[in-house]
Amino acid sequence: MNENNDIAIKVDHVYKSFNIYYDRANTLKERMLFFARNKRREKREVLKDINLDIKKGETVALIGVNGSGKSTLLKLMTQIIFPNKGTIETKGKLTSLLELGAGFHPDFSGRENIYFNSSIFGLTRKEIDERLDKIIEFSELQDFIDNPVRTYSSGMYMRLAFSVAINVDADILLIDEILSVGDQHFQEKCFNKMRELKKEGKTMVFVTHSMDSVKNLCDRAVWLYDGQVRMDGNTDEVVDEYLKVTM
Amino acid sequence: MNIFKKIYNYRELLKTNVKKEIRGRYKNSILGIMWSFLNPLLQLLVYSVIFGALLAGGDETYPIYICIALIPWTYFTTAITQAAFTVIGNADIIKKVYFPREILPISVVTSGAVNFVISTIIILAFVIFSGVGLSWYILLYPFILLIQYVLLLGIGFIVSSVTVYFRDLEHIIGVILMAAFYGTPIVYKLEQLPHTLQIIVQLNPMTHLINAYRDIFYYHQMPNMKILLILLGASIVLTVIGYFIFKKLQKGFAEEL
Repeated sequence: MNENNDIAIKVDHVYKSFNIYYDRANTLKERMLFFARNKRREKREVLKDINLDIKKGETVALIGVNGSGKSTLLKLMTQIIFPNKGTIETKGKLTSLLELGAGFHPDFSGRENIYFNSSIFGLTRKEIDERLDKIIEFSELQDFIDNPVRTYSSGMYMRLAFSVAINVDADILLIDEILSVGDQHFQEKCFNKMRELKKEGKTMVFVTHSMDSVKNLCDRAVWLYDGQVRMDGNTDEVVDEYLKVTM
Repeated sequence: MNIFKKIYNYRELLKTNVKKEIRGRYKNSILGIMWSFLNPLLQLLVYSVIFGALLAGGDETYPIYICIALIPWTYFTTAITQAAFTVIGNADIIKKVYFPREILPISVVTSGAVNFVISTIIILAFVIFSGVGLSWYILLYPFILLIQYVLLLGIGFIVSSVTVYFRDLEHIIGVILMAAFYGTPIVYKLEQLPHTLQIIVQLNPMTHLINAYRDIFYYHQMPNMKILLILLGASIVLTVIGYFIFKKLQKGFAEEL
């Protein structure tokens, strides 16, 4: 096996810290008048020297307690934020679902939002046209698809968002703790779809607290603790160890 | 050039954004798209009455003289004001989804250009029905528009990214644009100014663009191509610089917003 060609996400010595301002000088006037103000800040290191190679076709779960840096790592992979030190490389088209219906326009109908949302993911008109029926069918929102999205329940919202993201045909899919919404039936459907994507060789990274879904779906788990990788390996081993320590 | 490929890949987003901005501007207003025409017309009416009495000296085509300048000027100011707000206004998506951030200022400047082309109908109506008439020089319109577009793109990249870090810029821009209105020969003729002021006003790129629009619509003569080419070159340089500033600053957008 040729290792180098098979890497989908390469995280190399990544550091990330955020500046926590107590009282932020946002405007020029404040900056000039109270130049000392911004000095009262705290640097919080969220990720320290993370190294991670995720191979093509792997399904990886990021687990860890709140504040351990899982979501930050996912945001770095999406390129919404950038590391202070180190590099992150991703290969192939990438889609992320960091929050429910990010980029939905509440006044637009479900159908218009499918177009809008897919275009944010970089699809062309033609590609969206081809997928439209599949997306609507998967979301089971046929009766509501022409209603404005603001009238949707949170479950419907999530179903639409998920259906779009999963039908983008990205090579890499990043998902942050969102599967908890939706009823049993839809969750089951999502898992099936993700298993299908896994078979097709897509790379997936999850952030989740649901150990059942981790064991159910992922071949590998990475346990983050206090901004560092505490354990990385076979799902069952990592999850068992994690549960033993945190329980 | 990576940037062109990226924008090409995301062309659907650019299109949707431009459409949203044009459609969204007059959404829920009774007169809808009519405001695209009414707004400049009413503004024109006010300026013609006030400045016509002060400056025109009995010239009956004075309203047309202003109109040809006012419409490109409106494109200039709205594009800059909106560009200054576009990143902040889209904070929600920026924090949650990856897409090339450059799309935001580009779609502001592009939707402004579409609006400008639509408003040009007013200019055409004016010159045709007033007897000023048309000339072949009108074929240079796309070229002049292109220069204005590139110039605005450069300014747009800079103001949209810098405002994220200095929110005051939004307000500073308002003041500068207000002053620039009088620093551009929109309501007066360049020759009416004292010599030293003329030199200052000529440093303003919009002066030359407006002169060019007037040449093709009003005076029916060849615009000064040498100045226009220099302006095009300078605008391209500004856009490249602006793009690099934008590229550098955009890495912090999600954290700053």
